[in-house]
Amino acid sequence: MVEDGEIVTLIGSNGAGKSTTLRAVSGIIRPRAGQVTFRGKSIDRLPPHKIVQLGMSHVPEGRGIFHRMTVHENLLLGAYQRNDDLSGDLDRVYGLFPRLKERLGQPGGTLSGGEQQMLAIGRALMARPTLLLLDEPSMGLSPLLVETIFATIAQIRQQGSTVLLVEQNALMALEIADRAYVLESGVITLQGTGAELANNDAVRRSYLGEE
Amino acid sequence: MLESVRPGVPRLPEWAHALIFLIVGLLGWYFLDDTWVRMLFLVTLYATLGMGLNVVVGLAGLLDLGFVAFFATGAYVVAIWGAPISPSVDGVVNYWVLLPMAVFAGAGIGMLLGLPVLPLRGDYLAIVTLGFGEIIRILALNMDDYTRGSSGIFALAKPDYGAETVDSVREFFIMILIAAMAVWFVTARLRDSKVGRAWEAIREDEDVAQGMGINTVRYKLMAFAIGASIGALGGAIYAPFVDFVAPAQFSLIVSINVLALVIIGGMGNTTGVIAGSAMLIGVPELLQFQETADVLAKFEWLRDGLNVFIDGFNAVSFADLGKLPPSEEWGDKLALYRFIVFGALLVMVMVLRPSGLFPSRRRELEFTAEEPAPAGSA
Repeated sequence: MVEDGEIVTLIGSNGAGKSTTLRAVSGIIRPRAGQVTFRGKSIDRLPPHKIVQLGMSHVPEGRGIFHRMTVHENLLLGAYQRNDDLSGDLDRVYGLFPRLKERLGQPGGTLSGGEQQMLAIGRALMARPTLLLLDEPSMGLSPLLVETIFATIAQIRQQGSTVLLVEQNALMALEIADRAYVLESGVITLQGTGAELANNDAVRRSYLGEE
Repeated sequence: MLESVRPGVPRLPEWAHALIFLIVGLLGWYFLDDTWVRMLFLVTLYATLGMGLNVVVGLAGLLDLGFVAFFATGAYVVAIWGAPISPSVDGVVNYWVLLPMAVFAGAGIGMLLGLPVLPLRGDYLAIVTLGFGEIIRILALNMDDYTRGSSGIFALAKPDYGAETVDSVREFFIMILIAAMAVWFVTARLRDSKVGRAWEAIREDEDVAQGMGINTVRYKLMAFAIGASIGALGGAIYAPFVDFVAPAQFSLIVSINVLALVIIGGMGNTTGVIAGSAMLIGVPELLQFQETADVLAKFEWLRDGLNVFIDGFNAVSFADLGKLPPSEEWGDKLALYRFIVFGALLVMVMVLRPSGLFPSRRRELEFTAEEPAPAGSA
């Protein structure tokens, strides 16, 4: 349901199953029913490390930074599966997030929430994913930072990655998404382009807080 | 800022620590008499076991309370195939064949334990490994045909070099010292390799580690196997040293001692493991020596101070501890009080150095670094 080069977003209220969907896609949990296919291959029986090899990176909810490792070490772990030269990728990440470059020797746990989110995204990019799974990148961040993060997500797409974005912040998500799905209690209830859904009355009432 | 958490204290590189340990060991070997070298042997043996457990607990973060199982495996491999007395097995295999056999058997048993416990974490893992340690001991007790049950196996094949046989305390000490240095080298290299980084990631957050493309199953099994083979190596050197292998030697207390010395020393750090072993294994031995007692007898105030505590204990307890006798006599009685002194030392370490005697750089961060900034404060 995600095409090459798109940003697709999955929105829905608390407990709708957004994060669970992402976790099933990246192999951390096994779906009880249904199928996950990636480039025509069924991947729902594959362990997570195999799925990473196929070119999928998951930025987990809550960021999952290794607190006691430095920023640099966190980034290197993102490229765990690769054995080739990483300097180009490091430059790319530091280009997207100049803040990380200033802090590369600092333990991940001492970064601010926004910086940790940058690090989590940067770390996922180190695997050179063709599909990037982002779980709630706006969680707990100030509005200004959310803007920055979303601008970067758009930029990452321009550089050629496909993004599957799970968000509670529906307004922001729909703004940058090419297409969107609305998930309720584990079932997709609505789908359309980002703009369509942003103008859909039901969506506006339920998720954008309008009367 | 990461280089030195306590500024002003220059840190020696790890190889310097290893060199100091080696030199201290060799000096002790050269100058001290056999009783002392026996203590050094035990300290080094437990340090080696500690390095093995440290791979599992300190590096990969898997709490293992049954480490004695692997120690027993190593000892029994050497005993069953290396002693003429063992039933069911004819002939005696050369020790230098048995040693690698024991190490491989340890790795095998380690994976055997590792496989079923892979999905377990934390407390559950601790309980299962605890049981596993007991299973191995009870197996040894009941497999009479191989182990002679509680009567144990003695008269083991000894290691030899050239025409000589390793049968003195001093020679065994050199053997365990070589083993300890080799294990230190190997574990340090592993820790600094890609494998070590995978372990560290698993220790910090297994789910995220998976997400980074780390095959957690493989690396957890590897940690179990490597830790276990080191435990078996220790057992294989210990068995011919005491020349007696019986189930009673492999009780839970061995696992606890090894885990305690890893924690007291400073988890994740080999220097700490050695310091922990010196304290947990060395100090109680040391307090039994006449020389120690003679020196301590000179400190009247120390005896008086201890007597205050003993009086206090007697006042509130139904048990009656005898008071320490006057200085000229209390020397040889001191051994009776060694566990009081030992307990006091442990409490002191916990209060004064909560992250261990020589915490690893990372470990220290965990105890001193501020909590991560709350989300949203950019």
